[in-house]
Amino acid sequence: MALKNPYRPYLGTLVGIKDLATNIKLFQVELNDPQEREAFTYRPGQFAFVSAFGVGEAPFSITSSPSRSQVLEFAINRVGTVTSALHRMSEGDVVGIRGPFGNGFPLEEMEGKNIVILGGGIGGAPLRPIIHTVIDNRSKYGKLTILWAARNPSLLIFTDEFDEWRAAPDTELHLTVDRADETWTGNVGLITELLEKVAPSPENAVSITCGPPIMIKFTMLTLKKLGFAPEQMIMTLEAKMKCGIGKCGRCNLGDKFICTDGPVFNYAEVSEFLESF
Amino acid sequence: MKVSTKDDLMAWLDRLAERYTLIAPKDVEGHILYRPVAGSEEIAFDFTKAALSPKEHFLPSTQVILSIERKGEGIELKEPSLERERIIFGIRPCDAKALRVLDALFLEEPIDPYYAERREKTTLIGLACREMGDECFCTSLGGAPDDASDVDLMLTEVEGGYAVQVVTEKGKAIVGDLPLKEVEGSPPKPIVHEEKVPIPELDAWPQHFNDEYWARLADRCLSCRLCTYVCPTCRCFDVRDYPSSDDAIERLRAWDSCLAEGYRRIAGGYNPRPTKMQRLRNRFYCKFYYYPKDFGPVACVGCGRCIINCPVNIDIVEVLRDVATL
Amino acid sequence: MIDQIRAKARELLESGQVSCVIGYEEGTRGRVRPAFIYKPEDVDRLVWNERCIHNLVVYLRQFARPLKRGEEPPRVAILVKPCDSRSLNVLLQEKQVERERVYVIGLACEGMRVDGQLQERCQRCEDRIPLVYDLLVGEKPQTVGHEDYADVEELERMSPRERLDFWLRELDRCILCYACRQACPACYCSECVAEQLDPLWMGIAIDLPRKWFFHTMRAYHLAGRCAGCNACEQVCPMDIPLSLIYRKLVKEVETLFSYKAGLDAETPSPLATFEKGEELPL
Repeated sequence: MALKNPYRPYLGTLVGIKDLATNIKLFQVELNDPQEREAFTYRPGQFAFVSAFGVGEAPFSITSSPSRSQVLEFAINRVGTVTSALHRMSEGDVVGIRGPFGNGFPLEEMEGKNIVILGGGIGGAPLRPIIHTVIDNRSKYGKLTILWAARNPSLLIFTDEFDEWRAAPDTELHLTVDRADETWTGNVGLITELLEKVAPSPENAVSITCGPPIMIKFTMLTLKKLGFAPEQMIMTLEAKMKCGIGKCGRCNLGDKFICTDGPVFNYAEVSEFLESF
Repeated sequence: MKVSTKDDLMAWLDRLAERYTLIAPKDVEGHILYRPVAGSEEIAFDFTKAALSPKEHFLPSTQVILSIERKGEGIELKEPSLERERIIFGIRPCDAKALRVLDALFLEEPIDPYYAERREKTTLIGLACREMGDECFCTSLGGAPDDASDVDLMLTEVEGGYAVQVVTEKGKAIVGDLPLKEVEGSPPKPIVHEEKVPIPELDAWPQHFNDEYWARLADRCLSCRLCTYVCPTCRCFDVRDYPSSDDAIERLRAWDSCLAEGYRRIAGGYNPRPTKMQRLRNRFYCKFYYYPKDFGPVACVGCGRCIINCPVNIDIVEVLRDVATL
Repeated sequence: MIDQIRAKARELLESGQVSCVIGYEEGTRGRVRPAFIYKPEDVDRLVWNERCIHNLVVYLRQFARPLKRGEEPPRVAILVKPCDSRSLNVLLQEKQVERERVYVIGLACEGMRVDGQLQERCQRCEDRIPLVYDLLVGEKPQTVGHEDYADVEELERMSPRERLDFWLRELDRCILCYACRQACPACYCSECVAEQLDPLWMGIAIDLPRKWFFHTMRAYHLAGRCAGCNACEQVCPMDIPLSLIYRKLVKEVETLFSYKAGLDAETPSPLATFEKGEELPL
């Protein structure tokens, strides 16, 4: 077929599979074709479809940072048929990659501002490349406040990076779990409670939230209470998707498609949507 | 006007059937459906509208979009292609207009290659309607029972045969060996409904999104998928892989419907449109607000198939009239 | 009859005994459609005539949950024809509907007509008044039909090859719209086998093997439960004679177990029970 086919995935090999948390693995994919590898440029906040051939494909946010990683990284939670098939794979297996899709985070507008990151569970996956970008270009951004949460300690992701994040200049990391286990000595409570305790200033700040829909909704309310304006509150959303290019009609919120107009939106935009996520 | 006799027309179609895949209206157990025919004698001429539009020949209800083969350690991908050029004979103006509506989405970057190939390799021979059906309202949406703008050749029934109008170069390319006689006059005008259906403007829709009207309308909706499947402009699809043999897999694309309960449900269980009301409302808003806002044309051509088939009489004309007065 | 229906509906709504009356109203283009009356002043929308073809029992499931959070599920009134009342009995027997939450207005019925012609299922109908009701409206008609399974037996007389060809021809134009399933009161699974991905039974393809699987699978799931209301065949956009499949299994269950679904709200389906000492008719 002469036309470039947006439904045709690139072939990639799993060069690394790491356990991140209970039922969550980090998949490292290297595209097989060197030209495709060269051409695959992406920004933090974009996503790609990963194919488990024989079952299907699903969209996952790209959790690697383009500046730090040569391979594409995806943090994948095992919940359904595609993710289960991926979890059954081993290093060396071939997967399909389609992308990158989506708008990504507005990094230029964030420069010079204080960044507040709020990650709930697997929602931390698209936020990790932002954290890396800020740390690697520290002088371009203001204070970095990271609130990282999970239902219990075994579901916290990227725990091996916490020390690096804490050690970065003008950076704070606050952790919380809904329910502790025997070894947990940190904060216990919802991320919204932690947010009220930490109370980051909305002055010259921008917040970026990702997590389950209910977490995003309550976090928005708390941020509003703390004085954040809707334009300052950024979120990244997810939906069931089948094409990633705005054709299959599935992921719309009103007249906006999460795959092409998003997945990154700010609260002011989302409040205008006819439908709620 | 240029007129062909029915016999000449049939012979010409038989000749075309040798070089092209000829798809035409066919009587299938009492239902008119657009199916490949071997010859002109299989074609049904006496019908208002086919039960399903020819949309299924551009966006098939099930199609293979990728062949995936395991070769040793690796995987080989193949993209299927249409083998033969096709002619769709007897397409009605509303169904042809519906293809234009779908073009606005599928031929916009990034182009859908499977749809694009089918559009490119198909010549449309339109057949004008003698009169609008009871449920038809094409004239309210800028169409007409004899609108030739979306076909390559337009045929209209006249005394002694069919008037033939060449619309595009594609049509011109196949009509050369059809004997045509120059006859005085023009094809008869079709019988149209006097009253038009008010189509609310784009800006009129958002304010009614949270009206209780939609909940009351959805009370009787069964959440079946009938309306979306018979509709010539609905296009939502699902994609999944299935093994076709020990080493081969097919990636299939199949029709899906925004009315299905699980349409938006993600693997973890969350569903942003859990109620019938939200899903039914989404269908109307998609057709008259989202689609035109995002892609241009209103996603309805007034064919009335949803009206004919909805088991609980959710009547799109009634809904449009209601929204205009809400 | 209609005055009695409207009066009762008004009384039930005004007294607060029910939150909604599910009945019939005039729609567009000479069709009747299901009506949901929430306010007493709207009861005059209700109609009752020979075009009231729908089985309204299918709507009881949307009232099984509270209308507002924190409240109890609503009590509703429903109009049932004799065929619909048998579906209702099946749901009552399967504990899908609480009897106390439903006020049943039973309608004596002489049959439904389409374009003036008595529907085939009404010609076969052996019940002329509902088998369960709180209020019976209308006189029991003198005429009664008879289910002799003549059309099912015609199929049975075909050779297996002929029968297969018949069904392949009929199912070919099925579009897997699931209208038959959605209209059926007995199909209330929260996730249908046809749509399950894990385990994967059917998949998304709309092709003959899957159409075959869906209809035979659904027929088996309805064996011993199908009340013969014919809603499935009525809603099919392609006029596929679905009742032949379901009534075949109804006939089998009747022959083997002397059981017909929906005659009362207590007797369970023989396919769902096994009594100690039960003798199998094999």
